[in-house]
Amino acid sequence: MICCYSRPCRHFTFINSSINKMAQISSVPQPHMQQIDLTSLNIQQLSTLKSQLDNELSLFQESLSSLKIAQTKYQNSGETLGQLTPEVEGKEILVPLTGSMYVPGKLYDTNNVLIDIGTRYYVEKDLESAKDYFKRKTQFLTEQMEKIQVLGFEKSKIRDAIVEIIELKLQQQKSS
Amino acid sequence: MCEEVQRKLQSELDSFKNTQKELQKAVLTRQQLDGQLNENEIVKGELECISNDAKVFKSVGPVLIKTELAEAKQNVAKRMDYISKEIKRVDDMIAVLEKKQDGHREGLQKLQYQFQQAQVKAAMQA
Repeated sequence: MICCYSRPCRHFTFINSSINKMAQISSVPQPHMQQIDLTSLNIQQLSTLKSQLDNELSLFQESLSSLKIAQTKYQNSGETLGQLTPEVEGKEILVPLTGSMYVPGKLYDTNNVLIDIGTRYYVEKDLESAKDYFKRKTQFLTEQMEKIQVLGFEKSKIRDAIVEIIELKLQQQKSS
Repeated sequence: MCEEVQRKLQSELDSFKNTQKELQKAVLTRQQLDGQLNENEIVKGELECISNDAKVFKSVGPVLIKTELAEAKQNVAKRMDYISKEIKRVDDMIAVLEKKQDGHREGLQKLQYQFQQAQVKAAMQA
């Protein structure tokens, strides 16, 4: 039996949670922000707002790259499954005991794999459903990334508007 | 007068910073709990869509121990319950801390104003 590690699981769920949190953040203050006329705020308030948005934007970037890494891991796991055919049963493999020590072993039962589904639980799946699992996960991550991209785009638009107003105010201050 | 206000300002600033730190810690805990809840939810979904006779293992340290599917489901549900309760607790804590922070911020502004006034007065007297 072969262990198919899908370690990114734990990683991306955390990211996912921050996505949810961010989604909340963005959906709550947004109508609020539209109600407030940005030009009515003073420069200090505007720059606080800008640094908040900057923070959020960099968080988005971080999440995106983490999601990308997680997705690649899932894809790799899925591709590795493709090499696991009934023909390789009984063949010799080297099993890593530590990072640098291996012992020889024989492949046994190539029809089933163990998948780490998170929170230290492993499920035995046959090849077909294992492939489906990785496909599902990859797709899920793609959806999440798209969501973040949309959110990030909106945020950066708001940020640009704020920067513009700050510049305008500064100019007004200079001329008066 | 000027020095007294400055001292007050300093102590208010310190407590403001302390509250800020506490708040940040609480928010971090909240995020971690949120992540755990999410992970458990995904595991729950995964456990739900596998057949009843599927083999489920739990990793305890370096070994995998075979568990019953029902037991695993129960365990995950229990954990989600616990995490949700924790989230509620931390949420309450965050609300309290936010209020405290706002109070300190207001106090700071007032003291800052007083300090400026005192400075102006001192400058006029000199």
